[in-house]
Amino acid sequence: MAGARNPTARASAHIVDREAVAHLKQRFAAHNAWGVIALFAVLALLPFLPGFKPWMAGQISLVMVYIVAAQGVSILTGYTGLVTVGHGGFMAIGAYASALMVKHWQVDILVAIIGGAIMAGGVGVLLGLVFLRLAGPFLAIGTLGFAFFVGTIVTNVPLFEGREGISLPKNKALGLELGDVGFYFLALTTFAAVTLFVHSLVRSSVGRALTALRDAEKAAQSCGVNRLFYRMVAFTVSATITGAAGALSGLSVRYVSAEVFADIWYSVDILVACVVGGSAMLMGPIVGGAFVALLPFVLEKLADFSFILKGVVLITVLMFAPAGVCDVLARPVRAWRRRQLERAGAGSGAGSQAGAKVEPLKRQEG
Amino acid sequence: MFGQQLASGLATGSLYALTAIAVVVVFRNTRTINIAQGDFSMIAAFIALLLLKAGFGYGAALALTVVASILVGVIVERLVMRPIADSDWLTLFTATLGIYYIMHGLAGWIWGRDTKAFPVAFESKPIEIAGIVVSEGHLINMGWAAAIGAVLFAFFRWTKQGVAMRAVTDDPETARLMGIPVRFIVLLTWGMAGFLGAFAGVLLAPIVYVSPQMMDEVLIKGYVAAVFGGLYSIPGAVIGALMIGVAENLAGGYLGSHYKTATAFAMIVVMLALRPQGLFGIQKRRDI
Amino acid sequence: MSNIPHLHCENVVVRFGGVVACKNVSLRVETGKVVGLIGPNGAGKTTLFNVLSRFQTQTEGHVYVDGKTVDRCRPDEMIGRGMARTFQNINLFQELSTQDNILIGAHRLMGDPVSSMYSLPWARQRQAGQIKRALEIADLLGLADELDVTVRHLPYGIQKRVEIARALAGEPRLILLDEPVAGCNDEETAELREVVRTVNRDLGITVLMVEHDMSMVMSVCDYIFVVNFGANLAEGTPAQIRANPEVVKAYLGEEAEA
Repeated sequence: MAGARNPTARASAHIVDREAVAHLKQRFAAHNAWGVIALFAVLALLPFLPGFKPWMAGQISLVMVYIVAAQGVSILTGYTGLVTVGHGGFMAIGAYASALMVKHWQVDILVAIIGGAIMAGGVGVLLGLVFLRLAGPFLAIGTLGFAFFVGTIVTNVPLFEGREGISLPKNKALGLELGDVGFYFLALTTFAAVTLFVHSLVRSSVGRALTALRDAEKAAQSCGVNRLFYRMVAFTVSATITGAAGALSGLSVRYVSAEVFADIWYSVDILVACVVGGSAMLMGPIVGGAFVALLPFVLEKLADFSFILKGVVLITVLMFAPAGVCDVLARPVRAWRRRQLERAGAGSGAGSQAGAKVEPLKRQEG
Repeated sequence: MFGQQLASGLATGSLYALTAIAVVVVFRNTRTINIAQGDFSMIAAFIALLLLKAGFGYGAALALTVVASILVGVIVERLVMRPIADSDWLTLFTATLGIYYIMHGLAGWIWGRDTKAFPVAFESKPIEIAGIVVSEGHLINMGWAAAIGAVLFAFFRWTKQGVAMRAVTDDPETARLMGIPVRFIVLLTWGMAGFLGAFAGVLLAPIVYVSPQMMDEVLIKGYVAAVFGGLYSIPGAVIGALMIGVAENLAGGYLGSHYKTATAFAMIVVMLALRPQGLFGIQKRRDI
Repeated sequence: MSNIPHLHCENVVVRFGGVVACKNVSLRVETGKVVGLIGPNGAGKTTLFNVLSRFQTQTEGHVYVDGKTVDRCRPDEMIGRGMARTFQNINLFQELSTQDNILIGAHRLMGDPVSSMYSLPWARQRQAGQIKRALEIADLLGLADELDVTVRHLPYGIQKRVEIARALAGEPRLILLDEPVAGCNDEETAELREVVRTVNRDLGITVLMVEHDMSMVMSVCDYIFVVNFGANLAEGTPAQIRANPEVVKAYLGEEAEA
C-alpha cells in the first residue's frame, strides 16, 4: 500500500473541468441578475409610457410596499424558518413613527422613513429577546399577540389619533416636493435597495448561518452558529425592513389611521404573500406581494370575494406547491442548470444516480 | 365593585375557555395551530342568528347550530386538513389561515360586514350571591361552560372514543399500531372543535355582537390561555382563560376599558419570559 | 511538553429523570492522539459525547479543554475552543451543496455579521479565502468532484466524508467523531479509516471517536476507553483492551471480528 498523501484521490475516472464549472456558475448568476435588472428597468420606465396616469403610480407604490414588507418577512420565515404572524405590528410602528415625525417635527420624509424603520427594528430587538427562545408555535402566537397589542395601542392611545387618523402634509424629500410620481420613484428606490440587500444577505455567511439553523440546528451550532444571536439578527433585520415598508405605506397616501392596523390583516397578508410566492427565493415575495396587493384592486367591488379567493389560492398552493409558486416555476430551470453542471463534470456519477455505489478506490501510484 | 368585576371576569373567562380548549385539543392531536377556531364560532353565531330570525326557539336554534358547526369542522378536516395531514406544522397552520380567509369572506359576502345585535336568551336580572351582585347572564354562561366541561371530562374518561383520543395525543404511532383508527380520531377532533366553537360563538354573541370579525380578539385570548397550559393541558388552558377574563376586567375597571385587550398580551409576555413551558402544561418535546 | 490533556472530563454524572446515563465517567485525550470510546449499546457513549461537546449538560462533574473548564459553554462556543464534532446520523444541510456545507463549517472564521450581510469588500475577500480553503479541504478528502452536488444526492459514505470536511473547516485542533463508519460497507470504512489517519497525522488534529466497528477502533486508535452501563470499565492500548477479560465479557455476543 503506497503511503498515499491523498488517501481517497481518484485517478480521474472522468474529467473535471473546473474552469467550465466556474464559468457556468457565473453565467447562471448573470441570468438571475439580468432578470431582476429587467424588472427594475421596466418599473423605472413605466411612468414615461403614454397613457400612464399619476394614480397608477400611487397604486404601484402600494404594491411595492407590500412587496418590501413581504421581503422583510421572507428573511425570517423563508431563510431562517421562523414563523411570524405579527409583522403588521412592525408596519404600524414604521407608519406611525414616520407619520408623527413628519407631522410634529416637519422632517424630510427620507429621515422619517429611516426613523420609522429604526423604531421598528428597535422594538424587534425587544420582542425578539422575549420570544425567540421559544419553539415555533409559541413564537407564532407571541407575534400574533404583538400585532393585536400594537393595534390596540394605536386605536386607544390619544397620541396616535385612533381611527380619525393622522393626515400628513405634502411629502418633502431633500427639499423638493414629491407628487405621486416622485414618491413612486422613492418607493422604487427603496424596493431596489431592499432587494439588493436581501440578495447580499442570502449569499453571505450570515445567510448561510440562517439557513443552516433552519435545516439542521444542532449541526449549525457545532459549526459555531449562535442560535439566539442569529435568530435575533434575522428578526431585527426583518422588522426593520417591514418597518420601512410601513413608513412608505403611510407616506404614500399621506394618511395613517388605526383602521388599517387595528386588526391582523396586514400581518396575515404579508405572510400569505410569502407562502404563496415562496419565501426562500428572491422572486418569491415579489410575486406573492404583487398577488396579495393587486387582488383587492382587481376584484374591486367583490371585496369579500377577494378574501375567499385568497384563502382558496393559499390552500391550493399549500397542497400542490408548498414551497411557493416561484419554487414550482423555478424547478425546470434548476433541473436544466444541474444537467449543464453535470455535463461539465461536476459530480457526475455520484450526482446523477441517487444511491450509486462508491467507485472502487484507485490509489495514487508511487 | 371588585366582586362584580371578578364575577363578570370569570363569566367571560369561562367562555374564552371554550375556545382555549378547542385550540389545545386540536393542537395536541394534530400539531395544528388552528387560527380559524374563532371563525367556527363566528359562523355558528351567524347561523344561530339566522335561525332565531327565522322563528326558531332558542333551544332549537342552539341545537341546530351545534350540529351545523360540527359539520363545518368535519368538512374542514376532510377537504383541507386531511390531504396535507403529513406536512410540517407551518403548512398546517397556514392552511387554517386559508380557512380563516375563506370564512371571513363567506360571512361578509352572505351576511354583510356590519355589526348585528344578537338577542339575549335571558334577561340580565341581577342576582345576589354571598353579598355580590352578579347578573343572571353571567351565571348562565358559567353554567354552560361548566356543563360542557363536565361533558368533555366524561367523554375523555369514560367513552371509548375519548380514551382513544387520549392515546392518540400521547403517542400516535403506538396508537396506530394498537389498531386505533387515528384518522377517525382526527375527524372527531375537528368535529369537537366545531362543537366547542358553536357554544363559544352563541354564548359570546350577545357580548361581542355578531360580525365577521367578532371572534378575532377572543381568538388571541383563547390562544394566550392555551399557552398558559403549554398548549397541552386542558385544565391549564381553562385556568389561563379565567385568569385572562378576570385580569382584563380588573384592568378595564381600574385603568379604563381601552386596556382590556392589552392585558392578555401583557400576560403572555410576562409568562413566556418567565416560564416558557406554560404554567401547567408539560410541553411535550414533539418535533414542532 | 505539557501534561495537560487536550480534552478530559472528571466524574461526569448524567441523570435524566430516573435514569442515570453516565455514572462517574472520566476520560483523557492526550494532544495529537487518536482515542477511542467504545462500549456495548446503551453504555452511555452518546450521552457522554454530547456532554463533551456541550449539547448535553451534565448533572455532576466537569469537562475541560486544554485544562480549562468548559462547563458553562454553549454548544456553538466549542469550535471557538478548537473542538469540532460530527454526528452519528448524518447531520448535513441536505439541500445545500458540498461546498456550502464546508463553508458553514468555517462560519467562525467569517468575521462580523454586519460586513458580511452587506457584502462589504473585505467580507467578500474573506469569503473568497474561505472558498479556497474549502477547495483544499475537499481535495484532501477526495471530495473535489462533489463540490457542487447537492448533498442529498450523495452516497452515504461520501456524505460521511463531507461531515468530516465540514468539521475541519473551522480549523479545529480536536475533532469528536460520532460513529464515523456507522452503516458503512467495507470499502467506505477503509476510506474513512484513511481519512482519520490523514486528519490525525498530516493535520495534527487530536481525535476522539465513538465507534462500534472494532476493526476501525483497533487499527486507528492509540488509546481506548471502554464504558459499560454508564461507567468506566477499562482503558488502555488496543492490545491491552483486546486482551482484557472484562471487556470481552461485556461484549458477550458482540464479539468483534477484528
